Amino acid sequence: MPPRGEGAAGGDDISRVARVWGLVAARATSRGGPESAQDVCAVAVASLGVSGAWVLTGGWTGPGFVTCVTDAVSESLAEVQLTLGEGPCPDAVTSGVPVLVAELRADGFGRRWPGFADEALRLGAAAVFALPLRMGAVRVGVLGLYRDTGGALSTFQLGDALILADAATVLLLDAQAGGSAGSPGQAGPAGQSPDLALHRAEIDQATGMLTEQLGVGVGEAFARLRAYAYAQDRRLSDVARDIVGRRLRLGPDPDPPG
Amino acid sequence: MDQELLTGTFVDLADTMVADFDIIDFLHLLADRSVQLLEVSAAGVVLADPRGQLRLVAASSEAARLLELFQLQDDEGPCLDAIRTGQPVIEPDMDRARQRWPRFAPAALEAGFAAVHAIPMRLREQVIGGLNLFREQPGAFDPADVRVGQALADTATIGLLHERNLRSSEVLSEQLQAALNSRVVIEQAKGKLAERLGVDMDTAFTILRHYARAQNLLLSDLAQAFIDSGPADFLGLTAPALLRPDRP
Repeated sequence: MPPRGEGAAGGDDISRVARVWGLVAARATSRGGPESAQDVCAVAVASLGVSGAWVLTGGWTGPGFVTCVTDAVSESLAEVQLTLGEGPCPDAVTSGVPVLVAELRADGFGRRWPGFADEALRLGAAAVFALPLRMGAVRVGVLGLYRDTGGALSTFQLGDALILADAATVLLLDAQAGGSAGSPGQAGPAGQSPDLALHRAEIDQATGMLTEQLGVGVGEAFARLRAYAYAQDRRLSDVARDIVGRRLRLGPDPDPPG
Repeated sequence: MDQELLTGTFVDLADTMVADFDIIDFLHLLADRSVQLLEVSAAGVVLADPRGQLRLVAASSEAARLLELFQLQDDEGPCLDAIRTGQPVIEPDMDRARQRWPRFAPAALEAGFAAVHAIPMRLREQVIGGLNLFREQPGAFDPADVRVGQALADTATIGLLHERNLRSSEVLSEQLQAALNSRVVIEQAKGKLAERLGVDMDTAFTILRHYARAQNLLLSDLAQAFIDSGPADFLGLTAPALLRPDRP
């Protein structure tokens, strides 16, 4: 049997991303508030076959914050990693790459994280997954997941987890930007949220360009790009394409006419 | 095929892999060499993101038309077919492929490409991405080229794993995300540099790569440092110095 691209792209990626965002939006609606990282965590538990989820923001050099948790065990797992500065979440933040531990009991994790592994196993966590919340150079925190039974996330589950991490990243950035321009984090114009998650190179390039045009850091540049697209009721990738094509500037003109 | 170039290509790629290297830079080198060696017009390396998307991570040119063509392949195209089936996909005449790929084929022709060879990047039972080769002229691909193309795709796969031991599929997933994340940082850095210097993305990328080599920095480390840096001169160099054509 020839190798297959399990979970590979095609045909239904837009509906896939829309489905995940839809779950987050539905959760928020049932709670009666705008979408938040808390909703992302709840959806993670409901749809990824994990036992609990948490979000940490801030780094490990300064104070880190537990932004949300779904249950007491998740809270303890989050806290112990912050306290010890050790574990999948700190590693994911440092490396900027997911840390996926299917079997915490196995393979030297006790050596890698002596304090964390002991405590996590004592709390009943058999598998732990940490996904950094980032978009390139924009980094806001980490999404942590645990399961009380061992085993890897399937490719499909990992994909959904990454989409949820993307959602949390955007929601946290919006919150940081103070929800300007009508809170783009909310289920905005049709296609806004799913469009965002289709990692287009021009969105990243436009973000970089805006750091220069607006004289701001990369996180704020991205928030301003989204806010502009939302205010203009345009797709993010279309606005980005115009910026990259130099048909649109969001900052002062370097060579003013006259 | 130029035998010396063939040998030289694999010696260079292997050489790169024994030291610390940047995966995106490596894949760019591989894409460039694919073009030279296989006498095609353009090459690109695509990774299959578990989010359900094909992500271009390196291409022989940063030209917008080529990048657009790759991004179009999320829904249909030779790349997607190769990844789904795990088999190479060869189309020697894009004009005849309009039924096969109703959106992609016209777009490819519009971009000036008349033939394509998509090679899956395989690791055991998984297909993690593809090496895609485009030609401006229609026509069959030489069997020797097809074999070398597979070897280049395999080299790309090995490069992605680099120093990690493949004890579990988690390692592969982590490495894949690392490469994708690196690419995003590089795109952001390209944008910032292109805007600062008033150049196009292709030029901005070339400058970043050359500067990284000259300063013995990993491309993605340089990209991150540049994004973190303030509005002052780019890491100590002025714009005219960066645009000097005599850089290695």
